[in-house]
Amino acid sequence: MNIISYYFNNFGKIMFALETHIFIFLVSLTFSIIIGITISIFITQEGKKKIGRIILSVMGAAQSVPSLVIIALTFIFIGIGIKPAIFALIVYSLVPIIFNTTSGIFSVNQDVIEAGKGMGLTQNQLLWKVKIPIALPVIMGGIRSSATIIIGSATVAAVIGGGGLGDFIFIGLKLQKPEILISGALTVSLLAIIVDYIISIIEKKIVSKGLKIKKSRRIYHEKLHKYNYDFCINF
Amino acid sequence: MIELAEVTKTFGNKVAVNNINLNIKKGSITILIGPSGCGKTTILRMINRLTPYDKGDILINGTSINNIDPVELRRNIGYVIQEIGLFPHLTVFENIAIVPRLLKWEQKKIEKRVKELLDLVTLDHSFAQKYPLQLSGGEKQRVGIARALAAEPEILLMDEPFGAIDPINRLKLQDSFLEIQEEIEKTVVFVTHDINEAIKLGNKIAIVNNGNLVQYDEVVKILNKPVNEFVENLLGKDRNLKALSLKKTKDLITKDGFITVSNIESHEKVKEKMIKKDVFIAFALNENDHLKGRFLLEKEQGIEKLRLIYNSAPWIIERQNNLNEALSKMLEAGEKELPVVDRRKKFVGVIKLSNIFEEFKKNKTF
Repeated sequence: MNIISYYFNNFGKIMFALETHIFIFLVSLTFSIIIGITISIFITQEGKKKIGRIILSVMGAAQSVPSLVIIALTFIFIGIGIKPAIFALIVYSLVPIIFNTTSGIFSVNQDVIEAGKGMGLTQNQLLWKVKIPIALPVIMGGIRSSATIIIGSATVAAVIGGGGLGDFIFIGLKLQKPEILISGALTVSLLAIIVDYIISIIEKKIVSKGLKIKKSRRIYHEKLHKYNYDFCINF
Repeated sequence: MIELAEVTKTFGNKVAVNNINLNIKKGSITILIGPSGCGKTTILRMINRLTPYDKGDILINGTSINNIDPVELRRNIGYVIQEIGLFPHLTVFENIAIVPRLLKWEQKKIEKRVKELLDLVTLDHSFAQKYPLQLSGGEKQRVGIARALAAEPEILLMDEPFGAIDPINRLKLQDSFLEIQEEIEKTVVFVTHDINEAIKLGNKIAIVNNGNLVQYDEVVKILNKPVNEFVENLLGKDRNLKALSLKKTKDLITKDGFITVSNIESHEKVKEKMIKKDVFIAFALNENDHLKGRFLLEKEQGIEKLRLIYNSAPWIIERQNNLNEALSKMLEAGEKELPVVDRRKKFVGVIKLSNIFEEFKKNKTF
C-alpha cells in the first residue's frame, strides 16, 4: 500500500525523472547507433577483415565488463553531471551494436557478395543494398540489446549525477525506504519493456520478408546463433 | 568477340593460368573444362575483372578490358555462379531488376523486361513476388539466368551454374538453357567439370589442365581427335556413344507415319481417320497443341479387325534432348518411336529409332 500511495503522492517527480531518463536514453542510443554502425562499416570493409576480426573478439570480451566500471572510470577521468553520464552510456552501449553489426555483415553469404560484384555493384551499393539489408535482423538485435542496456545502466549513471529514475533507487537505498526504491525500479522496468516492444515493431517493419522465411537465419546467419548464445552467457 | 592473348595469372608461387590464348566467337557457347583447381574458374573471373591478370591481355570487341571501368564492364556481362547468389532480401522481381535499376531504366521498361525474362525461363509471372528462399533449386537457377540476362548483355559468364542441381533437373535445365540460347544467341563462356554437360552444351570446348590449355576445338573434333591421353581419359571410353549427343532430337524429327487428332474427338472417329490415312499411330492434342495422349492401332491375332489402344501418358522426348538421351528413353520405354515436344510442351513431331541408328553408323569414326 505504501508503494501505491508514495507513487501517487510523488507522481510529478517520478514523471519528471522519467522524462530525464527518456532524454538520456534517446540521446545515448542515437549516438550509439550512429557511431557503432559507422565503426562497423569501417572495419568490415574489404581488406580490413583482420582488424575486423580482432575488434569483434575484443567486443565479445568487452560485453562482460560491468557497466559500473565504465561509469566509475568516466567519473574519475571526466567528472559528474548528465553529459559524463551520457558519454559513459554511449561507450558502454556501443559494444552490442558494433558486435552485432560487424558479425551480421561478416556472416552474409560470400556467394551473394560475389554475385553482387559480378553484376557490377559498386562497393557502396554492395554495402547499402546487399550487406546491410541482409544483416539487418542481426543489427536490429544489437540495437535492441543496446536500448535495454542503456535504460538499465542509466539508473547506475545516477551516481555520477545523471539524474533520471536512478535517483529514486539510490535515495530509497540510502533512506532504507523500499517504496521509493521500488517506484523507481518499477518505472524503469516498464520503460524497458515498452521500448523493447517499440523496437521489435520497427524491426518487423524494416526487415525484408524474404529474410523471415524459416530457413533464412540458418543459412545467412549460421554463426550468429553461436554469437548470441555467447552473448547471453556473458550478459 | 572475346580474345584472350597470352594471359597469365599467378597466385603467389602457383601459376594458376599459364599463357592462355583463346578466341571466343560471338553467339557461341564455349565450355571451359578440366579437373578442379585447373584454373578454369580463374579464366572466367578474369573476363569480368573479378580476378586481375598479370600478363597478356583480354580484349572484348577489340578493346582491352583494362581500359573499361570494371563496374561498367560487369554491368554489360551477365554472370551466373553455382550457388546463384540470389539476394535473399529481395523478391524475384527485384532480383531480376537490379542491373536495369542500376542502369536507371524506366520502371515500365523494367516491368516489361522482367515479364519477358520470366517467360523466357518458363517461370509463371506469379513468381515475381516470391522470395528466393521460397524457390526450389531449379527455379532459383532459372531466376539466376533471368537476372544475368536482364540488361541484355552480349556476354554471359556461367560458373558451374547447374552444379548443385540433382541430375534429373540438371538435364532439364540444360535443355531449356539450349532453347533459351537458341532464342537469345549470347556469347556464353561456361565452366563445368562434367564432360557430358560440356559435350551437350558446347559449340567449342577448351580443355584446361594445371593452368595450361590442352586442347581448344569444336566438340566433334575433340571427340574424334583427342590430342593426348589426358583428353582421352577425360572423354571416357564411350566416345562413339557420346558423339551421339552432338546431334539433337530436333535434327531428326519426322512428321511422317502418324496423324494428329483433337483430344476431344471420339475414339470411333479417330479409328476411322487412321484407317483412312493408313497409319497406325495418332497423337491427341489439345487446343494449345499440348500432347494429351497416343492412339495405337493394332491387329488382333486371328481376326481381321483392328483394335485401338489409347495411352493417356505416353513417353515423350524433348526437342532439345540429344540423340543419346533420346536413345536411352526409347530403350527404357521399349518403343521404336516417341513423340517430341518443345520447351513449352508443344507437340512438334516424332523421332524414330531407325533414324538414330543410321546417324550412329554415319558418325562412327574408330
